[in-house]
Amino acid sequence: METQEGRIKLEKEPVEGLSVDSPEKNNLIDVMVVGGGISGIQAALDLANTGFRVYLVDKSPAIGGKMSQLDKTFPTNDCSMCIESPKFIECSRHPNIEILTYTEVENIKGKAGDFKVTLIKKPRYIIEDRCTGCTTCVEFCPVRVPDKYNQNLSMNKAIHIYFSQAVPLITYVDPETCLYLKDEKCNICVGVCKNEAIDLNQKEEMLQVEVGAIIMAPGYEVFDPKLRGDYGYGVMENVLTGLDFERLLCSTGPYEGEIRRSSDKKHPHKIAWIQCVGSRQVIAGGNSYCSAVCCAYTQKQVILAKDHDAELDAAIFHNDIRAFGKDFERFYQRAEKLSGVRFIRSYVSVGKEIPETKNVTIRYATPDDGVKEEEFDLVVLSVGLTPPADVKGLANKFGIALNSHGFCKTNPLNPIETTRQGIFACGAFQGPIDIPESVMGASGAGSLCSQLLSYRRGDLARERIYPAERDVSKEEPKVGVFVCHCGANIGRVVDVPSVVEYASTLNNVVHAQESLFACSTDNAQQIANTIREKGLNRVVVAACTPRTHEPLFRDTCREGGINPYFYEMANIREHCSWVHSKEKGNATQKAKEIVRMSVVRAARLEPLQEFELPVNKAGLVVGGGIAGMTSALSLAEQGFKVYLVEKDNDLGGMARRIHTTLEGLDVQTYLNDIIRKVYRHSLIRVFHHAAITEAAGYVGNFITTVNYEGRTEKIKHGVAILATGAEEYKPVEYLYGKNDRVLTQLELEAQITHGDERLTAAESLVMIQCVGCRQADRNYCARICCSHAIKNALKLKEMNPRMDVYILFRDMRTYGFREDFYREAAEKEVRFIRWEPEDRPQVEAVTEDGRPILRVTVPDPILGQRLAIDSDLLVLSAAVIPSAGSSDIARLFKVAMNPDGFFQEAHVKLRPVDFAAEGVFLCGAAHYPKHITETISQAYGAAGRAVTILTKDSVVASGAICEVDESACESCGACISVCDYGAIAFCDTAKGKKAKVNPILCKGDGLCNTRCPTGAISLKHYTDEEIFCQIDAA
Amino acid sequence: METTAPFKEVIAEVMDAGGDAFRYCYQCGKCDTVCPWNRVRTFSIRRIIREATFGLTEIDGEDIWRCTTCGNCPQNCPRGVNQIDVGVSLRRVASNYDVFPASVRSARTARASLISEGNPLQFERKKRADWAKDLPVKPFTEGMEVLYFVGCYLSFDPRMKKVATAAADILTRAGIDFGILGARENCCGESIRKTGSEEVFKRLARENIKTFIENGVKKILVSSPHCYHTFKNEYPEFKVNFEVVHISQFLFELVNAGRIRFTREYGKIVTYHDPCYLGRHNGIYDAPREVLKKIPGLDLLEMTDARKDSLCCGGGGGRIWMDTPKGERFSDIRLQQAREIGAEVLATACPYCITNFEESRLNLAYENFLEVKDITEIIQEAI
Repeated sequence: METQEGRIKLEKEPVEGLSVDSPEKNNLIDVMVVGGGISGIQAALDLANTGFRVYLVDKSPAIGGKMSQLDKTFPTNDCSMCIESPKFIECSRHPNIEILTYTEVENIKGKAGDFKVTLIKKPRYIIEDRCTGCTTCVEFCPVRVPDKYNQNLSMNKAIHIYFSQAVPLITYVDPETCLYLKDEKCNICVGVCKNEAIDLNQKEEMLQVEVGAIIMAPGYEVFDPKLRGDYGYGVMENVLTGLDFERLLCSTGPYEGEIRRSSDKKHPHKIAWIQCVGSRQVIAGGNSYCSAVCCAYTQKQVILAKDHDAELDAAIFHNDIRAFGKDFERFYQRAEKLSGVRFIRSYVSVGKEIPETKNVTIRYATPDDGVKEEEFDLVVLSVGLTPPADVKGLANKFGIALNSHGFCKTNPLNPIETTRQGIFACGAFQGPIDIPESVMGASGAGSLCSQLLSYRRGDLARERIYPAERDVSKEEPKVGVFVCHCGANIGRVVDVPSVVEYASTLNNVVHAQESLFACSTDNAQQIANTIREKGLNRVVVAACTPRTHEPLFRDTCREGGINPYFYEMANIREHCSWVHSKEKGNATQKAKEIVRMSVVRAARLEPLQEFELPVNKAGLVVGGGIAGMTSALSLAEQGFKVYLVEKDNDLGGMARRIHTTLEGLDVQTYLNDIIRKVYRHSLIRVFHHAAITEAAGYVGNFITTVNYEGRTEKIKHGVAILATGAEEYKPVEYLYGKNDRVLTQLELEAQITHGDERLTAAESLVMIQCVGCRQADRNYCARICCSHAIKNALKLKEMNPRMDVYILFRDMRTYGFREDFYREAAEKEVRFIRWEPEDRPQVEAVTEDGRPILRVTVPDPILGQRLAIDSDLLVLSAAVIPSAGSSDIARLFKVAMNPDGFFQEAHVKLRPVDFAAEGVFLCGAAHYPKHITETISQAYGAAGRAVTILTKDSVVASGAICEVDESACESCGACISVCDYGAIAFCDTAKGKKAKVNPILCKGDGLCNTRCPTGAISLKHYTDEEIFCQIDAA
Repeated sequence: METTAPFKEVIAEVMDAGGDAFRYCYQCGKCDTVCPWNRVRTFSIRRIIREATFGLTEIDGEDIWRCTTCGNCPQNCPRGVNQIDVGVSLRRVASNYDVFPASVRSARTARASLISEGNPLQFERKKRADWAKDLPVKPFTEGMEVLYFVGCYLSFDPRMKKVATAAADILTRAGIDFGILGARENCCGESIRKTGSEEVFKRLARENIKTFIENGVKKILVSSPHCYHTFKNEYPEFKVNFEVVHISQFLFELVNAGRIRFTREYGKIVTYHDPCYLGRHNGIYDAPREVLKKIPGLDLLEMTDARKDSLCCGGGGGRIWMDTPKGERFSDIRLQQAREIGAEVLATACPYCITNFEESRLNLAYENFLEVKDITEIIQEAI
C-alpha cells in the first residue's frame, strides 16, 4: 500500500481561475461528509456554500446513493434522478467540494475541530483524469456481469460506468469479475483505450486528512428477503423487491422503463405488493421497527405501474396504512381510488410458483371471506430499511455507538449528534426516514458543523472565478444546439440524431450535436469549450426542464464566456417524449418544432445584468417554541444576531403542555434549559407578546414591523425563519365539551402529570384516534397522535396496571422505532380496536350501578361483533391543526400554504425547509405536525439553510425581471395592484409619479405586462418580440 | 351486528391458564394464511385469538379444538403471539368447565385410558412390551448406554409395531447397548397436555421422570417427535435434564460412525415429510434427509411444502384422537403432494404422521403406487 500524504486527486474539473491565495495544503479541510447520497450531498452543498471546504467521500464508484436508483419520488412523483442529478453537478462544480468516490474511511483519530482521518482509496483501475467516459472499453470488455445498479436485473461489463448520469462520469473495473485481475487473462480494455486511462495494476492508496468535523451519511440497505427465503425471493423469478421494481420502472432500468418479468420478459398484468417485508416483526432475522417509507413507496409504485398499464390489476396486501407524512393521506387515496387497485388488509404467505407460467400464488385472509389463494404475474416485496452494510465495523472506525437496531445512536434532544463530539449523522443512518427528513437532517448537520467551526469559516474556502464576459453586441447570432438523449428518457422516443440534423439546417445555427446527458459534468464542460472554440453567442439545449437544469446551463454559458441569458432551453422531455411516448414519429417531429422555436427565440435574446445587494447579517425567527428557539440558538451560535418574536408572554409554545416523549425524554427540563440558553445568549433578542404587522423587503434586506408590549419597532434582517407552530384541535365530536369525562390527549397528559384524582381512580379508559382529521374537511393524518396515545397509555399502565385501557384506532401509525412502543403497549395489555370511518365509535353517557360512565360502542372487524365498553374517561386524540397566526404570517411574508393550512415548502423532497420566497425558511409543526425530535432536526435544518444566505456578503437577483418605460407609464397603478410580490411601487420622477420595479422582489412572472394599458411595463428575457417570433416559428 | 361487552372474568381465566400471549396480536391475518385448516375448510385462529382478547371465546364450540399445534402460525407470527399457548389455555378453561363438543369425546376416552393404563389406546399396561416378546430386546437396567423409549403407538399399534421392530433390529445389529422400560413406561404426555389436561400430563411426566431416575437413565432414544419434544423442552419444567435423541439423529450418527452399513440398494423415489414436532418445533430437518441420501439407489425428492413450511398430517395437539371428517384431512393433501412429484415412498419419522398417512392411503386408494414408511423401516431394508 502506498501512502501519499497530501496528494489527493480531485475528481472534478479544474477550477478555472482559482484565486491564487487559496490554501495550498490540500489535506486540510473543514468538514468531511462520508456518504454521497442525497443527505450527504445536501450537507456538503450547504457547508460549501457557507464558507467551508468539504470532502464528500463515498465508497461507491459514484455519488447519488439509493435515491439515484429510484424512479420517481412520493408524493409528487417527481423523477428522482431529474431532481437529484443537478445536485451531483453542483457538487462536482463547487470549488469548495472535493468528491472522493470509491473511498472508505480507515480510521479517525483526534477530536472535534482537529480530527486526523485516514482514507483508503480503492483502486478503480482507471486513471481518473484521463478517462473521458467514452465507454469504448465497455464495448470491448468480454465479461458480462450482473449490473448492481440495476439490482442485478440486467447485465453490464466488468468495466463500466456505474450509471449513465454518474458523477464522476468515468469507468471502474469490477475486481471480482475482471479476467485480468482474476488471473491476468485479458487486457483488451487497456489496448482499446486511446487515452491510456486504464491501469490494471493500480493499488489502493492511503490518504491522511485533517478535518474539523465529520458528517456520517452512510445511508441504509434494503432488507434482503433472500436471507430467510421470505416469500420465495431468490427462488421464484417473478418475486422482486421494491428496489428491484424501482429499477424496472426506470427508463435507465433493465428494460428501459418497461415493466417486464424476469422469467419470460412479458408485461405482467396482475401484480401483488406485499407490505412490511422484514419490518414490524419480532421473528429472528427480521426488524421490529416500522421502516416508515414502504407504504408510500408502494403507493407510488402502484400509481406508476397503472400509468404504464392502465388495465393493470394491482393488489396491495398490508396491515396498517401508514400515510403519516405531509400529503401522504391524499397520495394513498389517489392510489386507492385507481380502478383495478385493491388494498387488502392482510399479511400473506406465498402458496406456490406455477411451473408452467412462473406465476406466483398468494394466500391472504379477510374477516369476511376467510383465506383465499390468488395467482399473480408478479409479486413485489415492499422491503424495509436496514442499517448500512457492516455497520458495526463502521461504528468502530468512527468511534461512535449504535442503537439496539444497529442504526446510529443519536441524542433525542439533538438527533443529528452521534455519541462522539464533532461527528454528526444525517440521512437514514439515523433510522428509517424518507428523503425530505434526510435533507432536513443534512442541512441541520451542516448547521451544527458550522456552529462548531464558525471560528474558521472562510479560511479554507475558494471561489469560482469566471472568464470575462465576451461582448457579442456586434456579432451576428451564432447558435449552438445541443440535443440531449436524457439516457433513454428522450432518446427512446425521439429520434435524436434526426433532430440534430434538422437543427443544423436552421438559420443562425452554427453548431449542432447530440449528447447522452447534457447535464453531466463532462458534457457541460464540453458545451463551455464549444462556446469558446466555435465562438457561439447563443446556446439552445434541447433536453428537460428549466426548472431543474436552467441554472446549470446558464452557468455553463458563463464558463464559456458569454452572458448567461443567452441560454435557451427546449423542453423535449416533459413537453414531448414523456407525453408522446407511444408516437415516436410524431414526437420526433414535435421535438424538431420545439427546437426550431427555441432557436428563433435564442437569436433574439439580450444579455441581462443581475443585481447584487448586500445582506443584512441578522435573522428573524417567528415563533418561540422548540422549533424557533432551536433555530435561533443555532444562528446565534454561528455569530448572527437573531430577533425572536413570540406572540405569548413565555417562550416554549406547544411543548409547555408536553411533559414526556414516548422515548422517555423529560420535556420540561429540556425546555427550561433551552429557554434559559435563549435568554442568556447575547446575540438573541426576544420580543414577547409580539405581533408582526408588516413584512417588507426581500432576501438579504427585510424590514419587519413588530408590535410588542405596546411598542412598535422596525427590524432589519437578512433572513426569516417562520416557526409559528400548531395547535390541538378542539373537538366537537364524542361529547367533548358536553361531558367533563371527555378529554383530549393533551388534557389527559396534564392530568397524568398532576395525578388527577378522577384519573387515578379510573378503572377503564378509552382513547379514540383520528378525531377531527383524516376526514373530508381535514384530509390529512396528524402524524403524532398514535405515538401520543401510546405514550399516555403506557403512563396510565405504569400508574395503574389494572386499568383497562382501550385505543380505538383506524391505522396505528407508530412509524420508525416507535413501533416497539406499540408492541410494548400491547404487552402491557392495552387493547387495540380498529374502526372504519363508515361505522365510527358511538359514545353515550349512562349510569351503571349508580356510577356515571361513558359507554363506547365500536364494531370489531375480526369478531364481527360490536363491542360495548364502559369507560370512566374518554380521551380524544384530536387533530393537530395549524396555529391561528400562521395564515397571517404567511400573508405578510408572501409565502404559500398548503390546502390544510400548513406552510408549503419550496420543494417537498429537496427543499423541505425553504419557502419558494427566497430568504424565508420554515420549521416545526407549522410545516406539518411532527414529534419534538423531528422538530429539532428540522429547526437545525432551517438554521443551516438560513446561514447559506447570512454568510454571504451579497445576494444576486435575476436579470429576467420587469422594467417600466417611464415615458409610457400613465401612473394608473394597475401593475401595482396585480403584483403578488409587492415588487412595484410609485416613485417620484421628474415626470411625476411613475411605476417602478424593485428588481429584487420581482419574480418575473409578467402578470403586470398583461394589465398595463400602454405596454409601458415589459418583462426582460420574455419580451414581446422574443415571444412573438417564437410563436411565429411554431 | 351483535353487541357484547368484554368478559373480564373469562379474560382473567384464560390468562391464568397461560394464554396471555393473545395480547400481542395486531390482527394481521398471517396466522390464518399459513394455517393448514384453511386448505380444507374455513377456520380462523386469528378470530380465536381475538375472542380470547375480549373474553368472548366460545368455550363449548368445536373451533378451539381444531388446532393441531403444527407450529406454523407461531413460526410466522410477526408479533410473537404464541397461538399454541393461547389455544391450549382455552382448552384448559373448557376442560375445567367440563364442556366438550362431540368430536372431542374420543380424546376423553384416550385421557381415561392414559389415567388408567398409561397409554391412550386402551391397551393394558402390562402388554406394553409384547411387541418385543420374540426379539432380542432387553429390559433397561442401570448402566446401559441407551434407553429406547418406545412410545405408545410403537408399543401397541399394529402398524407402528413394525417400526419398533425395525428400530430394535437396527440397534441390535449396530451393537448398541440398549433396553426398554416395558410396562414401566408411561405415555410421555405431550399430546394430552395440548388438550388442556394439564394434571394428566403432570402425572405421566412425574411417573416417567421417577422411573428414569430410579433406573439411572441418562440417554433417551425416542421414535416419536412428540416424546422428543416433551422430554427435551417440557420435562425441564420439572427441573430434570436427560439427554434426548430422536431416532433420525441417532441413525445419522450411526451411519456416519460406520456402525450401520448399507448393503442393499433401495431403488425407489422417496420423499420426506417433516413431522411438525421434529421440524418446526425442534429444528431437525437435515438429519433424516442426510440418512436417506446415504442409502444406495434411493432418490430423494422434495414436496411443495417442505422443511419449515411442511404441511401438518393433522395428528398433533390431540387431534390424533379426534375424528376429522373426510375432506378435511390434511394427510390426504400431503399424499397428493407426494404423488404429484412422482414419489413411490412417503417417508417420515413420526407415529402420528404414519397413522394418518396410512389411513389416507387407504381412503385415497393409493395402495398401489405409494408406500408410507418410517425412515427406520427404510434403513432396515437397506442394511
